[in-house]
Amino acid sequence: MNKSYPHINGKLHLTGSSRFIADEIPLPEMLYTKFLFSPVAHANIMELDTSESITIPGVEKVVTASDIPGINQIGLVIQDEPLFPEKEIMYMGQPLAMVLATSEKIAEAAVKLIHLKYEELPPIFEIDEADEKGEWYIPEKKIECGDVQKALSEADFTLQGITETPTQEHFYLETQRCRAIPGEDRQIILYTATQSTMEVQEVVSRLLNLPANRIIVEVPRLGGAFGGKERGATIWAAMAALGCFLTHKPVQVLLEREEDMRSTGKRHPFQGRWKVGFDAKGKIEALDIELLSNGGAYADLSIAILERAMFHADNAYFIPNVRIRGRACRTNLPPNTAFRGFGAPQAIFILESILDEIAKKLELDPIKLRQINAYRSGDITPYEQKVIECNLPDILERLAFNSNYDQLKEEIEKYNDEHRNSKQGLSIIPVKFGISFTTTHLNQASALLWIYIDGTASLTTSAVEMGQEVSTKCATVVSKVLGIPLENIRVESSNSQRVGNASPTAASTGTDLNGNASRNAAEKIRVRLLPLAQSMLKNQGIDGNMEKICFKDGTVFSSDSPETKIEFKDLIRQAYLSRIPLGANGYYSTPGISFDWNIGRGSPFQYFVFGAALAQVQIDLLTGEHQVLKVFIVHETGISLNEAIDLGQIEGAFIQCYGWCTCEDLPRDTTGHYLAINPSTYKIPTIRDLPSKIQIEMIPSGSKYASIFGSKAIGEPPFIYGLTVWFAIQNAIHSVKPDAILKFPATRESILLALN
Amino acid sequence: MENHNANDLIKSLQRIYYFNKITFWLNGELITAEIPPAQTTLEFLHNNQHLYGTKCSCNEGDCGACTVVIAQVKEGNIVYEAINSCLYTAAKLHGKHLITIEGLGTLEQLHPIQQVMLENHSLQCGYCSPGFVMSLFALLANISHPDEEEILSALEGNLCRCSSYQSILRAAKELSENFTFNDIVPAWCRDIEKQLFSFKDASKLIEKSGNLFYPCTHYFIPQKLSELTDILANTPESVFIAGGTDLMVRMNVQKEEMPVLIDLSELQELKQITYTSRGIVIGAVVTYSDILHSGIIKTDLLSLYELVEKIASKQIRNFATLAGNIANASPIGDTLPLLSVLDASLTLFSSTGIRELPLRDFFLDYRKTRLNYQELIKEIVIPLPTQDAFIRTYKATKRKAVDISAVVSAVKIETESGKIKEAKLAFGGVATIPKLSHKFSELLIGKPSEEINPIEIAEIVSAEFNPISDVRGSKEYRQILIRNQVLNYLQEYVQGDTNE
Ligand SMILES: Cc1cc2nc3c(=O)[nH]c(=O)nc-3n(C[C@H](O)[C@H](O)[C@H](O)COP(=O)(O)OP(=O)(O)OC[C@H]3O[C@@H](n4cnc5c(N)ncnc54)[C@H](O)[C@@H]3O)c2cc1C
Ligand code: FES
Ligand code: FES
Repeated sequence: MNKSYPHINGKLHLTGSSRFIADEIPLPEMLYTKFLFSPVAHANIMELDTSESITIPGVEKVVTASDIPGINQIGLVIQDEPLFPEKEIMYMGQPLAMVLATSEKIAEAAVKLIHLKYEELPPIFEIDEADEKGEWYIPEKKIECGDVQKALSEADFTLQGITETPTQEHFYLETQRCRAIPGEDRQIILYTATQSTMEVQEVVSRLLNLPANRIIVEVPRLGGAFGGKERGATIWAAMAALGCFLTHKPVQVLLEREEDMRSTGKRHPFQGRWKVGFDAKGKIEALDIELLSNGGAYADLSIAILERAMFHADNAYFIPNVRIRGRACRTNLPPNTAFRGFGAPQAIFILESILDEIAKKLELDPIKLRQINAYRSGDITPYEQKVIECNLPDILERLAFNSNYDQLKEEIEKYNDEHRNSKQGLSIIPVKFGISFTTTHLNQASALLWIYIDGTASLTTSAVEMGQEVSTKCATVVSKVLGIPLENIRVESSNSQRVGNASPTAASTGTDLNGNASRNAAEKIRVRLLPLAQSMLKNQGIDGNMEKICFKDGTVFSSDSPETKIEFKDLIRQAYLSRIPLGANGYYSTPGISFDWNIGRGSPFQYFVFGAALAQVQIDLLTGEHQVLKVFIVHETGISLNEAIDLGQIEGAFIQCYGWCTCEDLPRDTTGHYLAINPSTYKIPTIRDLPSKIQIEMIPSGSKYASIFGSKAIGEPPFIYGLTVWFAIQNAIHSVKPDAILKFPATRESILLALN
Repeated sequence: MENHNANDLIKSLQRIYYFNKITFWLNGELITAEIPPAQTTLEFLHNNQHLYGTKCSCNEGDCGACTVVIAQVKEGNIVYEAINSCLYTAAKLHGKHLITIEGLGTLEQLHPIQQVMLENHSLQCGYCSPGFVMSLFALLANISHPDEEEILSALEGNLCRCSSYQSILRAAKELSENFTFNDIVPAWCRDIEKQLFSFKDASKLIEKSGNLFYPCTHYFIPQKLSELTDILANTPESVFIAGGTDLMVRMNVQKEEMPVLIDLSELQELKQITYTSRGIVIGAVVTYSDILHSGIIKTDLLSLYELVEKIASKQIRNFATLAGNIANASPIGDTLPLLSVLDASLTLFSSTGIRELPLRDFFLDYRKTRLNYQELIKEIVIPLPTQDAFIRTYKATKRKAVDISAVVSAVKIETESGKIKEAKLAFGGVATIPKLSHKFSELLIGKPSEEINPIEIAEIVSAEFNPISDVRGSKEYRQILIRNQVLNYLQEYVQGDTNE
């Protein structure tokens, strides 16, 4: 098995010939769209007059809420989000009307001729205010174990505080987009950049009052998503679909960067209000924590995100007495949404801040403190899932070894003694990341596999390809089962006709779910082929047992006599002639998971991914600049399906979180206007932000519970490692000013303000 | 023209436009195209050529997804330069060779850059990949075996949100080690090099009308100042464009209309960097990259060289000009403080003649200058500083690379027989225009360096300014930056070190 087969679409991408929606030839008669976005965060619409804009030559139609044939509702779990608000504007940048015109420029000019009158309402932007006013989408959620009150009152030490995390912009390089094309029989074909074909279908069908089988959703691939197209794409797909429905012409929605950044939801800011009790050795006895999130104007995925945050409020540590309460707050910001980690990074940041406070209070070594508290196999989480196959203690030891921890600490102390204007710091963070959608029913996937007469294969799964290379991995699975060389397998676009009812590609589960569904499909075909293979081998004088037949490298043979082979493609031709079906539908649902929110108990996760990271940074006290000197990561991948992909995911996740922690500052003014809505002011990391040195060790765990072929999910867990940089910067600052308060993100400004 | 009512808009649909009829090579093929006024190269590739391999992610020069490479003759040599096609107007392509991702490699036969990136797994979603390939192409077509710094400098203008940077860097290092110019620049590219030298055709303007709608009606590209004078005489409301890295952002993002644009970048008289008795003279259309390639600047104005390296990205530096930075008159234009302390002056040109102005007097208010109607900057004159002058600049940004400053400063201290003879300190980002510190000069001139108290001076200078809060930094932060930058400079000046 080639452990690191190249990106299955790598050649396409590198030659610029891969297909992305809307980066393609305009369709005849196609209409372009521009939107009137709300200039205020909260208001009642008094008048929306489109009569002037419609007179412009080239303007085909100006669409508002009253044009919607079905239900003006794009919410899913909680149905609180209109496509266009009819009365109440809920956030700045909310689309209020859509112009359809023969050119973008005309549409743009016509938008300026729509006249909006409104009456402003008091907006809410901050968690504190929303919480005080009881602006929650649903009542508080709770997970509780042990007796927190008692344990807190009996603890040797207690600390309490409030910790906050800020937002983050997805900045997928491909902005939101969709092309809608009318088909026969009222069909609408949507080329939409979404992570969830099923959701788009369901929402558009309701909006247009059309049966789901008339809405066809096709996704060639995404130019990055990171959660921002899980729900975030739905509204734009719905816009295109509506325009197409009303005009019977192809319609393209393509957001410019600023439009995208202004109007779309981002990572949820969180606030943790906590009280912790611990003993003199640093063993945590009790944690009472409230997690509050800023969900923005509509519920979107806020509830599920809050849940995952609550499930990760313990990060990697066993705490016997815990109470976790969670409230998702409604504010007048664009609806915040999924973003890599889905609430977990926020919760883990808060908990790691608490650990830092404990370490400071007791003057404990950070790694020792973490070792004392780390989960061990057999421990029970606050929601009563048993932690099994937990190798955290080994991982922390490996990390100490790889980084030469004791010596590194000494070197840093020495450096700090010798340098007046420059200081170093370090930090360590372990992670235990739960894998599975916490919304249990989403843990299912299908695959459609065809083997064609020449032995090549076509595979469609529920998954959407967005750079995580679920395609390469699913093809690897099929290749493993049927021995088809990877270059003979095409992984197709996601398409609701080929694979219906697809769960979103999210929660790091893409390969687990779809790899297993692909395996199921491939195995069905394999089983059908076996008798034929046996008889064909027999014709060549090999009288083998069916169990011994191998499919490998495009050939089929018996393990007893591997020299005598039949070509896979010959087998397939013969199978076709023998009327053996060569297409199969595979299906998979994750076993053994469930959760009951009424009691806050259950096993929401199929397994956990474990790992830990250490970062060493240097800061300049006069300029506030920092440099990440060294990063060590020990990460459990299980038996990786493709080490290069997994390495890329770890490196990429680290940098993306690093950006959140250091440079991705997104200030907002008092009217709810995000101030950094373009790349000239919102700064994501560049190649210059790489750590001077990064060493990543991937360890195979041999887990029984790992997923497809012993591999583990990789997309989100390593995101947590980037947090080490923030804490290491704080550590460096504390070496000169122990009580300094460092804001998140640790920009040069935050660092200098903390120091002065 | 801003259209505030339907009638205006309908009228402007009947405007007459002048398209630029230009001739150039696109991926090895000579083509002639009619370019709508101020159309960008990216729009041309998408709308006119239906080539979609070049991606648009920001349309304002900040992401590099739209990177393409231009081969042209400069100072008698062929250079391959990566540029942001979203800001580079297509009319500028006349007589040049535009190389896009479609030109490099095929699925059957990858270009070595693509092959090595594939093997190193240097991509995830792939949206940024064409841009990275093109940036690497330009790098390796110009330098054999670039070192890590040269690689980073070539790639810092390409964003990858999947953050495949580590594996891209691995690929770049491998390419640098194992490949040379001959492997990188395909034969069909080299064939065209000769033709670039001999190219002589002139571009033309072609009249078009009838339900067209563009934000610009004329895009002139004069070749000589005399030609420019004629154009100015006949076109009252015109705006100059050099690189367009400020101006095109205003058109693309702020959606400003520029009815008449005059592109200065082909003016032969303004392309040189020369020594004169007044100092070093930099023509108005000299780009940042030209400055970095100029031996004169590197040897005699190292401070400018080092600052320019930190401005924008490689792609932007390849067509943005120093004069544009000055004329743009942004309070955070990075070069303004340095040019102020170096006592630079400007030669201004208009139909009525030429005048000189010290740079310090050029700025009036926020984005307001002393440029008269139809007057342009012809050149920048920088007196040579004394050999041992202490000159430093510092840019405070949110991100290490490709970022606009919150505060940028420059200092020049000249010492004579143990005493400070001249001391100048200037800041950008602390007021509506770049500002000199009066206190700094007052406190230092005449003092022996041993008597300087850096902390005290830093505090005094900091109190001299009253910066404001904006998206790039709060007032408090800027105040600290002012103090610390002064402190840093003086500590280094006094002790000859910074960080010990
Ligand atoms: C991604 C990106 C990064 C950037 N980073 C930086 C940075 O780090 N630091 C920084 O300071 N700037 C930066 N800039 C801004 C810009 O690149 C610089 O200001 C550049 O020097 C402008 O030069 P230009 O030739 O492109 O100007 P243009 O855009 O062509 O012109 C700018 C203005 O000057 C006028 N003008 C141009 N030339 C003349 C002339 N000869 N006479 C009279 N008027 C003239 C134009 O009419 C226009 O108003 C950045 C821009 C981008 C897009
Ligand atoms: S599209 Fe981003 S730099 Fe051109
Ligand atoms: S690979 Fe996705 S942006 Fe670079």
